[in-house]
Amino acid sequence: MRRLLPLLLLLLMPVLPASAEPPPDASRFFPYTLNTTRLPNGLTVVRVPFNSPGIVAYVTAVRVGSRNEVEPGRTGFAHFFEHMMFKGTKANPEGQRERILGGFGFDDNAFTTDDITVYQVYGPTAGLEKLIALEADRFQNLEYSEPAFQTEALAVLGEYHKNAAGPDLKLEEALAKTAFKRHTYQHTTLGFYEDIQAMPKAYAYSRSFFERWYTPANTTLFIVGDFNDAQVVAQVTKAYGGWQRQPTSVIIPTEPEQTSARSVHVDWPQPTQPRHVLAWHSPAARADTPDAAIQSILAEYLVGDTSPAYKELVLEKQYVESLDASTTPHRDPYLFLIDATLQDEQHRAAVDAVLRREVTAVTGAPVDPVRLRAIQDHLRYGLLMDMETPRDVAIDLALYAGVMGRPDALASYLKQLGSVTPQQLTLFARKYLKDTNLTVLTLTPKAVAAGGTP
Amino acid sequence: MKTRATVSLILAAALSLASCAHHKPPETPPGNPPGEPPPPPPEPGDVPAVPLKEPPPMQLVVQARGDTPIVSLRLVFHTGSIDDPKGKEGLTALTAKLMAEGGTQRLTAAQLLEALYPMAAELKVFTDKEMTTLSGRVHQDFLPAFLLLFTDTLLQPRFDPAEFERLRANALNAVRNGLRSEDDETLGKVGLDALLYAGHPYAHFTGGTVQGLQSLTLEDVKAHARRVFTQDRLVIGLAGPVDANLQQTLTSRLGALPAKGAPRVELPTVKSSAGRTLILQKPTLSTAVSMGFVTPMRRGNPDFFPVAFALSNLGEHRQFIGVLFNELREQRGLNYGDYAYAEHFIEDRGNGTFNRTNLVRTQQDVSLWLRPVVPANGVFATRGAVFFLERMSKEPLTQERFDLVRGFLQGYTRLWEQTDQRRLGYAIDSLYYGTPNFLEAYREALTQMTPQSVQAAVKRQLAPEKLAFVFVTEDAQGLAQKLKSGEPSPITYASPKPPELLKLDELIIQQKLPVRPDAIQVLPAAQFMER
Repeated sequence: MRRLLPLLLLLLMPVLPASAEPPPDASRFFPYTLNTTRLPNGLTVVRVPFNSPGIVAYVTAVRVGSRNEVEPGRTGFAHFFEHMMFKGTKANPEGQRERILGGFGFDDNAFTTDDITVYQVYGPTAGLEKLIALEADRFQNLEYSEPAFQTEALAVLGEYHKNAAGPDLKLEEALAKTAFKRHTYQHTTLGFYEDIQAMPKAYAYSRSFFERWYTPANTTLFIVGDFNDAQVVAQVTKAYGGWQRQPTSVIIPTEPEQTSARSVHVDWPQPTQPRHVLAWHSPAARADTPDAAIQSILAEYLVGDTSPAYKELVLEKQYVESLDASTTPHRDPYLFLIDATLQDEQHRAAVDAVLRREVTAVTGAPVDPVRLRAIQDHLRYGLLMDMETPRDVAIDLALYAGVMGRPDALASYLKQLGSVTPQQLTLFARKYLKDTNLTVLTLTPKAVAAGGTP
Repeated sequence: MKTRATVSLILAAALSLASCAHHKPPETPPGNPPGEPPPPPPEPGDVPAVPLKEPPPMQLVVQARGDTPIVSLRLVFHTGSIDDPKGKEGLTALTAKLMAEGGTQRLTAAQLLEALYPMAAELKVFTDKEMTTLSGRVHQDFLPAFLLLFTDTLLQPRFDPAEFERLRANALNAVRNGLRSEDDETLGKVGLDALLYAGHPYAHFTGGTVQGLQSLTLEDVKAHARRVFTQDRLVIGLAGPVDANLQQTLTSRLGALPAKGAPRVELPTVKSSAGRTLILQKPTLSTAVSMGFVTPMRRGNPDFFPVAFALSNLGEHRQFIGVLFNELREQRGLNYGDYAYAEHFIEDRGNGTFNRTNLVRTQQDVSLWLRPVVPANGVFATRGAVFFLERMSKEPLTQERFDLVRGFLQGYTRLWEQTDQRRLGYAIDSLYYGTPNFLEAYREALTQMTPQSVQAAVKRQLAPEKLAFVFVTEDAQGLAQKLKSGEPSPITYASPKPPELLKLDELIIQQKLPVRPDAIQVLPAAQFMER
């Protein structure tokens, strides 16, 4: 398994060779031009012209997620902190942002993943100058009171409650805890329930979290849409120029190699369908390796809509309602996972056997090059079709750049999607999809619904 | 596309509304057995069904643009769950799904997936109460092949028995597990439909009921497809790199659909549910809250825009500037979000946080949605929502607040029309409501509004007494007791609050909830949508 670079090195590495870089080719599957500037303080600013008259997307990716929550008892903090970023500054106290951006009709939101926090603002170009000023201000000068902090912790608790009704959150928690013993991927982005309940007491820690991670070198802006490039660069340079916060060294623990199969079972006390999940540790998604592209393709090859497993389990035998493979790119080695939602508990063994048979097949027999080509088309046309609005483009760019650490990471991922070979799939499967590297997660409904079932 | 003049349409809408305002009691149907009493006259709060406009068969809506390689097709059929026969709830949605996914005469379901796969083409179907939308998107590289697959799903569906069973099993899972157990928020909203439209064809879950789905046969599906997926119920939308040839090919192929469908379902008057409460009981950490009422006010009504403005002020879906969001979540930390809606709302997933298009409904509803709160605060949060709703009729918005919301809507509504599918959706909605250039008209109307005109519309349309309430919670009896008692619902906070907030709380904790103590129904979620 790939070893991690110490985090400090990653942070100090130049994000890209700055202004010397020629604009990447506008490819068939990514017909947009990236204009990239790196400010002296390390902030990377990417502009992408997009034909959306009068409309712009302004997306900020910070390379901080639940992965960065190293202290015990502080899980869920990256996500909580995302909420706090809307709480104001001295110059723009709480409510001012909403008044200014709201008055233009901006859609203003954010989300957090295991690896990154993404702030997305989408709306009229007419408000862009004011938006730049507000964004630059909050990333440099965020300030909030302890009571506001304590109140917001309750909104996060509400978010947990909203998600807790279905089994997915519990499944993610169980898988993370079992598959990871040291790395921070052992908790979900939302965090442990008890840590969320304790959040109101962590005001001081929240301040250090901001200092530690919200630094210019750890942040990339993506501005996509209809705007005057020179003007925007000048405004951004001026507004963010004084941001001088330096990165702190925090070591993310490395996950030791798994040496024997693991399993975990969840009994779910409400009506739901049985689940059967196979998860193997897999390498990180990086711009300089094909591993992310290989995992996306292998997932489709094994359980995609045209795979033998899908045909047999979903369409023919109908043992399975849905068959998914999650290959969300991760900054550190994460999991390659197949998630089957069963129609009935009695089919579990049969489903498990088919999935393992397909995994064995891909390690033993040659990969079908015709299917590989169809998958490559499917994924690349799919990405192209998903990018309908400037916001779609900005968020896709931010997701890949945030995880892989290069503003043009999406383009390199797309390029690699097109060049993965049958041999690479086989070698990858042999190396990673082996039993000693596997965690099996199962869930069975044990329904005792209140009021009884008719 | 040729559209009729705005003025005449607004006039027509106003006239049809005027006629419902003076709605005569329905006459006794001929042949009524002597001695049987005539149906009671409509009561205040009842909402009669004023028919929608009917576009001519296979009306074409084209929005050509050459700067994209992606072609969008949007076929909107005037059929939905209201066409489900009694005892066969779920038939329309399952029929649509089976046509879209179950293969064609030429291709099995697996072969259809295989053919669509390298194109990464989208072929989706969505069934609502009155409309079913079949949407397709494809790169022009694959247009001819896709067009054949897309039209074959409608013209030559395979109606494969195994696919029928598979999709029915999934539909049953969606009710038994997805709806009843796994998502309290959706359960609350579907619960509100059931409460507001009791006895009306909108009442049942669009995806069907357990017994309705179980009773379906493949023959039912085949017959239903011929009844509802017909030329006279279809509007065809096309966008992207569209030329005359494509229009011609598509319309001539769809000309093979049956010309005329079954007679339209006649929708009854919706009886007022004012003050009714439904508590859906299930194991859960929190309490989900939905409230609302059915309204005669739909797009085209002169009050629609000012009321939409007022409810946007109260809380545009998942936006930060709404009153409810700020008061209940930001200031009081009650939950994750709180919003208000001027017409029925179903989030268009994958397209931001906007409402879906083509949810055209003859009878519309206004609603308020509170995301789950801790059970102890269930009644307080509900009172808070009602308090801020009522406040808008008591006092006009300040000019500053009014200007903020107006600016917001001038910009935000533009985000609703940034994709081809959504632009087509709005244009097609407009054919049924008689509201051409709907979003432009909204922005134009904003320039004419004042705080006073908004307040006047709120007074006419948003009386809190009309509300009915749905809760999803574990301690249903405890909640019912609190609601019946009408006693104040004090609240404590874990962090210090400013005095003006605490002062407002004194009013909120005793806000009168328009709940009728004799009309509180508790239903185990496990029994919801059984039949």
